[in-house]
Amino acid sequence: MAEMIKLFVNGNEVEVEAGKNLIDAIGAVGIEIPHLCYHPALGADGNCRMCLVGLEEGGPPLVPACKTPAAEGMKVLLDADHIKKIQHDVLEFQLINHPVDCPVCDQAGECSLQDYYMTYDGQKSRMTVPQVTKSKKMDFGCGVVHDQERCVLCGRCVRFCRQITRTGELGIVNRTDTARVAIFPGRPLDNRYAVNVVDLCPVGAMTSADFRFKQRVWFMKKERGVCHGCSRGCNITIDHNREKDQDDLIYRFRPLFNEQVNGYFICDEGRLSYRDENENRLTEARLSKTTISLDRAVTASLKEFKRAEGIVILISPDCSLEQMVSIKSLAEELGAPLSGFSDGYIKKGDGDDYLIQDDKAANRAGLTALNIDSSQSAFEEALAKAGLLINFNNDLSLFYDESSLKKLFKEKRVIGVTSRDTKLFQMANLVIPVASFTEYSGSIINCDNILQTFNRAITKNDAPLDMSEVAALLGGPLKTNGDRYDKLKKIVVSLNDFNPDTIPATGLKLT
Amino acid sequence: MSDRSQLISTGEPFKFDQERDTEFERLIKRYPERESMILPALWLTQEQEGWISAEAIAYIADRIGTFASKVFECATFYTMYHLHPMGKYHICVCRTLSCWLRDKQAIVDYLRDEIGIEPGQKSEDGKFSLEEVECLGHCGTAPVVQINGEFHEEMDVEKLTALLAELN
Repeated sequence: MAEMIKLFVNGNEVEVEAGKNLIDAIGAVGIEIPHLCYHPALGADGNCRMCLVGLEEGGPPLVPACKTPAAEGMKVLLDADHIKKIQHDVLEFQLINHPVDCPVCDQAGECSLQDYYMTYDGQKSRMTVPQVTKSKKMDFGCGVVHDQERCVLCGRCVRFCRQITRTGELGIVNRTDTARVAIFPGRPLDNRYAVNVVDLCPVGAMTSADFRFKQRVWFMKKERGVCHGCSRGCNITIDHNREKDQDDLIYRFRPLFNEQVNGYFICDEGRLSYRDENENRLTEARLSKTTISLDRAVTASLKEFKRAEGIVILISPDCSLEQMVSIKSLAEELGAPLSGFSDGYIKKGDGDDYLIQDDKAANRAGLTALNIDSSQSAFEEALAKAGLLINFNNDLSLFYDESSLKKLFKEKRVIGVTSRDTKLFQMANLVIPVASFTEYSGSIINCDNILQTFNRAITKNDAPLDMSEVAALLGGPLKTNGDRYDKLKKIVVSLNDFNPDTIPATGLKLT
Repeated sequence: MSDRSQLISTGEPFKFDQERDTEFERLIKRYPERESMILPALWLTQEQEGWISAEAIAYIADRIGTFASKVFECATFYTMYHLHPMGKYHICVCRTLSCWLRDKQAIVDYLRDEIGIEPGQKSEDGKFSLEEVECLGHCGTAPVVQINGEFHEEMDVEKLTALLAELN
């Protein structure tokens, strides 16, 4: 627990954490100090002047809250007339050349300038001179679209590219009211975290080419999730909406702050991985290319089990711990060897020293924890002896090309339990649709051995089953989540006290 | 203030000549941070070419090892850097207090009539360009005119006529 200090805000005593600046310290107890340029990941810049607060006794009478550490006994003034006037005046300056095109601006509804105007300004423009016009709809690269007129020149995007990605593509050029954010001609945004500037931008100056004009933000529901794009397991906000007579669709992933996993940001690849949740999904079971009901698919599978001379089960390293333990138990029940072979998920050299990992599997640590063998030799040997492969969503095509896959599956029956209707699963004799990671609750362990849980965010119109439930239908002994947790605790020593309800939202570092 | 961010590209790669290269290497030893070299490097470029092109900005950034956006920022912030070609003789007339009081306007008006250009413009033959600038620091000998970096103090129309005749 951090050291606490007492200070006064508008004469009321509050207890805040020591060592933070006034915006963060006072913000943590629910008192907002308006600010545009300050961001905890980028530090204080002090250029927007929106966070000026009064100090009674000691020190200068007026200080920028972003650059002022909270101190014992400090008397902070927020609601005095002269402070209100400053906030009001700063906003009036900001809005001199702002186009106020909120009705067509993507940021509307999550825009600091809009919110602050309603809270602190609220007056009509007094300007009679023509506004300074600048460029709009500029392609900055990496799917970032910039509108110079909406910009408040807080410099967050510039600082992000210099401090975080260290690629420095953006700069503020010119000065006075012609100043604007620009790229150097021919050197556009070129880094794998670029779209974070869209989230950082407090106004609608930076928009995402992928998201703009797709959805008004107030229509979307926001759920917490964990990205399954790589073994980092970045925390995300899943913004989704079910439009009238439509299915529940995801419109974007945004980073969600988690200090011990991803901080404030996510990579662009992970951000766009929401598309896989919407598109190319397997929605119905198929037997030899004919659509059948789930019941019939289960019956057909059970028949296949009986007929088969030897079964081998393959599991995806993206599965949750609950699913892994269910499938492991099913394998034990059927007496089938279980493999987590997934070398194709590892893209050597693709990771960096920030968030992106080489290993694109979300829960490889889970495979290891459950002692599931992942070697290529064991998988291929087992498959050679078996007549039936049950593939639980493992994307073998990441490792084998099409002809090797054909060779591998020659004279074998294949059952695919999958969320994605890909070429690989079109080669299977029977496919059963399952939920994808935004549609079930579960727990995974990331590359740093941090256990994270997530809950179902999306409920599709024809919601496919969780893979654990499919495993149970196919004869797996673990029918309820309670059973799965008990078994998990038995197998995995570090999960001895595993209780999904007590795992903090920020994850639990396993030892 | 106008938008200075629309850089002009020459289509040719830029490089310091031998003299500026030596000067660059001499100067950079002065600074603990290489980035401090941005402004002097921009000066060197302007000295060499008379103006600063997009290629020159990219060259400076790569030579110093900093982001092109930073050099871009500096070049567009300071109006003393010319981002398009100037006349062969670039005439700066000081317009700050002392020079203004000592009738810099007479000089500007004379140049306007004689060469036919307003401040901020370049003559059609490319020989002269005119600019009004802020204090050049020669207030004691106002009004002052600077031509290609050379100071001409206590100017009046008569002296200027002689000077122009010399340049022509």
